[in-house]
Amino acid sequence: MKRPFILIMVAIFLLPLAVRPAIASEIWIFAIFGLGLNLLLGYTGLLSFGQSTFFGSAAYVAGWLMKIHGVNAFLALGIGVGVGAASAAVVGYLCVQRSGLYFIMLTFALNQLFYFTAYQWTSVTGGEDGMPGVPRPALLGIDFKDPLIYYAFVSLLFLFCLWLMKRIVESPLGKILQAIRENEVRAEAVGYNVPRFKLLAFVIGGAFSGLAGVLYAMLFGIVPLEAISFVFSGNVVFATLIGGSGSLYGPVIGSFVFIWLSESMSTVWARWPLLLGMAFVIVVLFLRGGVVEAWHKLSLKFFLRK
Amino acid sequence: MKILETRKITKSFGALTAVNGVSLAIEAGSLHSIIGPNGAGKTTLFNLLTGTFPPTSGSIIFDQKEITGTPANRIAHLGLARSYQRTTVFPAFSLFDNAWVAAFATGKSWNGLMWKPSGGFPEASERARQALHDVGLEGKSTQLAREISHGEQRQLELAIALAAAPRVLLLDEPAAGLSPDETRKMVALVRALKGRYTIVLIEHKMDIIMSVSDRISVMHFGSLIAEGTPGEIQKNPEVRRAYLGGVAA
Repeated sequence: MKRPFILIMVAIFLLPLAVRPAIASEIWIFAIFGLGLNLLLGYTGLLSFGQSTFFGSAAYVAGWLMKIHGVNAFLALGIGVGVGAASAAVVGYLCVQRSGLYFIMLTFALNQLFYFTAYQWTSVTGGEDGMPGVPRPALLGIDFKDPLIYYAFVSLLFLFCLWLMKRIVESPLGKILQAIRENEVRAEAVGYNVPRFKLLAFVIGGAFSGLAGVLYAMLFGIVPLEAISFVFSGNVVFATLIGGSGSLYGPVIGSFVFIWLSESMSTVWARWPLLLGMAFVIVVLFLRGGVVEAWHKLSLKFFLRK
Repeated sequence: MKILETRKITKSFGALTAVNGVSLAIEAGSLHSIIGPNGAGKTTLFNLLTGTFPPTSGSIIFDQKEITGTPANRIAHLGLARSYQRTTVFPAFSLFDNAWVAAFATGKSWNGLMWKPSGGFPEASERARQALHDVGLEGKSTQLAREISHGEQRQLELAIALAAAPRVLLLDEPAAGLSPDETRKMVALVRALKGRYTIVLIEHKMDIIMSVSDRISVMHFGSLIAEGTPGEIQKNPEVRRAYLGGVAA
């Protein structure tokens, strides 16, 4: 356990030296988003293709309140968590009634529903142009307009989320969710209300997504329409799979790879998604456990050989 | 005292009536076997008793209370636990975790469900250890369920049911697919559990049934055709007809 934590601390300190603070912040924000998805995908075995529903809803609601009503950052983040959890409760309630392909299509379809609502409701969301003018209000006298200070704030929140998720997956709840992934019939028979536990995973995942959504809106000062689109839903699944959905740190590494690649390569090479596509193919064909599994295999090969 | 009872219980799937007006009474503390040819409706009867689906008609009484239609996840909390004919375990879990998940479900308290480390529930851990000990797998508790042999998986199947600390144990062909040697071990195991739990046993292997049962009920085409002690069942002409077809009759 100690080593991943040290690596993450080192990364937090070194990252602003390597990339712009905005991108560094984006990496940890996206990692929070990924942690929430991974509770569903990696632990419960539910592929949700609609995580941006919670991310985007929270970003719009909290962004609007900050912009129009001057709500402070702390309250906005809390509201974002609440909106993320509440929207996940509604979507999750409908989705857990079905399983397999139908479940996936429901998460996707409901995501589209939210997307088109945002698209049409131009007076609030700005439609295709996004909702600009989201402020970054000061908190307890700390001015978040300085990108490095905001980066530090995001990093702290990320560490808190990581710690929280670690507690959750190591608690009985984490075991129960994994038991559902392993064998739903038996999990039900030994005495767990499976749909209710799936819903709980949705709500927790939605809360994480909501937090990430508000941080994202504050980071760029705008809620783009993509924030609630299937593109974002797909990206977080993509990043989590590349990092490794089987482990707690998978989505963190995935977010690192995904954001870093997309931000650094997009300025150099217009066809950069090709690289992501290749990485994805390699993961699916050879490395189902993603980067985390690759790391385990490598360390077994090189460091533990006598 | 009767601990588990069915009253004219029927289950139809469309035109097929899998269980047809079955009335059973299980004495507390006994080992009651249900036998019958393939497709007689034995497993469907178990699925009804454990709430996998509700009966089309009739009622189920457990410990003087009507439990007809109670969903599967509540049944375990009432004190009814089952094992499956087809191995139904948690493959990527260690044997200990397999039993632990079942023990925690029916544990006294879920306080700390979301934040307390799962090691911090001594009652559940102790029950899981005891269940593995009872089936003779305590030495392999850290191995993964998918990595042990079929025979051991059948033992684990039983351990998961035991970990729930049930009052009635429903065993669906515990010796399915076992070698003669493994079967002998399983029989010894079931015999050791006899008396500690009320057991309802579905089995195909006649020698097992005859040697361990207190009472036997015989099902054929969804209906109960006979009930009695092993001696009575062995002499029953209708049972012979059901099993051997017209030839021996």
